[in-house]
Amino acid sequence: MMDRDTWLEIFHTVLSNPLRTGLTGLSIALGIFILVVMQGLGAGLETGVKQTFGDDAANLMEVETGNAQLAFRGRKPNRRVELHNADEQAMRSQMDSVPAWSRLVYRWGSTVRYGNEQGSYGLRGVDPDQREIGQVNLTAGRFVSDRDIDQRRKVAVIGGQVLADLFPRGTKPEQAVGSLIQVRGIQFAVVGTFNQTGSRWENRSVYVPFSTAQKLFSNSDVVSRVAIGTGEASIDDTRETTTSLTGWLKDRLVVHPDDAEGVWVDNRNEQAEMYRQIFGGIRLFVWFVGMMTLLAGAMGVANIMAIVVRERTKEIGVRKALGATSGSIVAQIVQEAVFLMLISGCIGLLAGTWLLQGIAPFVEHDFFSDPRVDFRSALLALGVLIFVGVISAIGPALRAVSIRPVEALRDE
Amino acid sequence: MIELKSIRKAYQTGSQSLTVLKGIDCTIEEGELVAIMGSSGSGKSTLLNVLGLLDDFDEGSYVLNGQNMDGLSEKAAARYRSDFLGFVFQSFNLISYKTALENVALPLYYQGVPRKERQARALSFLTKVGLADWAEHLPNQMSGGQKQRVAIARALIANPSVILADEPTGALDSVTSDEVMALLKEINGEGITIVVVTHENEIANQCDRIIRLKDGRIEGANA
Repeated sequence: MMDRDTWLEIFHTVLSNPLRTGLTGLSIALGIFILVVMQGLGAGLETGVKQTFGDDAANLMEVETGNAQLAFRGRKPNRRVELHNADEQAMRSQMDSVPAWSRLVYRWGSTVRYGNEQGSYGLRGVDPDQREIGQVNLTAGRFVSDRDIDQRRKVAVIGGQVLADLFPRGTKPEQAVGSLIQVRGIQFAVVGTFNQTGSRWENRSVYVPFSTAQKLFSNSDVVSRVAIGTGEASIDDTRETTTSLTGWLKDRLVVHPDDAEGVWVDNRNEQAEMYRQIFGGIRLFVWFVGMMTLLAGAMGVANIMAIVVRERTKEIGVRKALGATSGSIVAQIVQEAVFLMLISGCIGLLAGTWLLQGIAPFVEHDFFSDPRVDFRSALLALGVLIFVGVISAIGPALRAVSIRPVEALRDE
Repeated sequence: MIELKSIRKAYQTGSQSLTVLKGIDCTIEEGELVAIMGSSGSGKSTLLNVLGLLDDFDEGSYVLNGQNMDGLSEKAAARYRSDFLGFVFQSFNLISYKTALENVALPLYYQGVPRKERQARALSFLTKVGLADWAEHLPNQMSGGQKQRVAIARALIANPSVILADEPTGALDSVTSDEVMALLKEINGEGITIVVVTHENEIANQCDRIIRLKDGRIEGANA
């Protein structure tokens, strides 16, 4: 069906009134353009927010202690609750198997020195699983190992910013591995380096074995925080675990069940779910607005096709007299509408993509990064265009079919 | 070739119906060149529409080429038109953005004939009507007589049994009218039945037979 004659017909219709075609095409192009740009901006917002908040894996829970507000079983209100090694071990033994588990002790503002250079960085004593939990991106060497923990080795894994600040300009990550640095006045060997894209905080950190850090820098057996990977567990399962774990901890650490501050079990799965819902909502909104704009454009196309059919009443009658069937007339009109929508839709798509790529380098922000149109949305938009094109042509096409060939013989 | 028996046809205009054909009986033999005459309002255009399967009728029977044409679906009518009938119109009704060659080839397009063959056959029919050199011209670059010859070539290309011509010379001067009639007679000489609707006596007199219509009835006998 799509031979040269078909194309000639299409070109003739589309070009016979360039202004009208242009304006209709513009409304379609604008619809797709708005859809693409909004979709790209939405994606940029999502990427930006994820980079700022989402350094760590989303599938984890964090256990922390704070100040208990309520008196309970003879304990005074407003007291510090601490999680000790024994509590941590008991907690671990009463939980089912967990995919990842890392204790943490923090020392903010720890002085780190290499040669004559020194700076203040965040010190984190961690277990090997922290690599998975924090999604640590190693650039050279290795992460903290089980043997480091057992032997309380003085080894360190340093962030990209620490490397850049303390080591001579141009030092490659692998060159830093094996160097000796001073952490809070104690000598450590650098065994690895890492770099977290888009995260300024983490790159200003130094990881050391949990056991080493607790012994050298903490003077107690307090655990600042425990991070628990939840693996593939469903959101409902993690909610359940959060509730039961909170209850168990409050009981063991003697905190009132209604106390909101004493024990924290932070379910990141829940936060991730919230973000998913927020961004799902944004995406839905973007598509809704885009679809409405497209619908307006489709009405334009339906209008132009209706006018075309009216103008060509006589011609359609002649074609019928010459043997055209209703099917061939419908096919012709639908092809014209789809062609018009596809061409202008592609123009809008290209313009939108071009704009997003053009502005991308200038709009980097904490909450906004790398706006882009993904290929799947573009394909979906084109599919919608074809669908809308067919729908918008059906009315005029049916009108064309209802033209009786008698009309052709009737001379005004 | 064509057999009409008590054909009646009424149009509904608002609340009242207007009977245009009040019982037409006529037979047109194969190879005849027949003129249908009548003043405006006599029903001659309606009769041509009925003959051309462009309009249906209320009562009576119509046998074309031995086949009954009562109560055809639109699709079947389209197929019979395409197989048996060729049309020539007063205002030519060429498609303005198609060349003479493409206009002539159009009926074959709807019959699904491949493009190459369409073009070759269209060119041979243009040659027959003396317009081979004008194949690539658009209708608005041609004179009225030339356009009507293109239209006749278009009517001929699907190899019809009957050509229906509605005032084929109505928009032409007398010299070109004669040329077009000469062409129609030549085609008739090859055995194709031709029905010409006209109000000009000069044209009608060139035909084998004249059917005169008045108030929806056939008036006279043979001329």
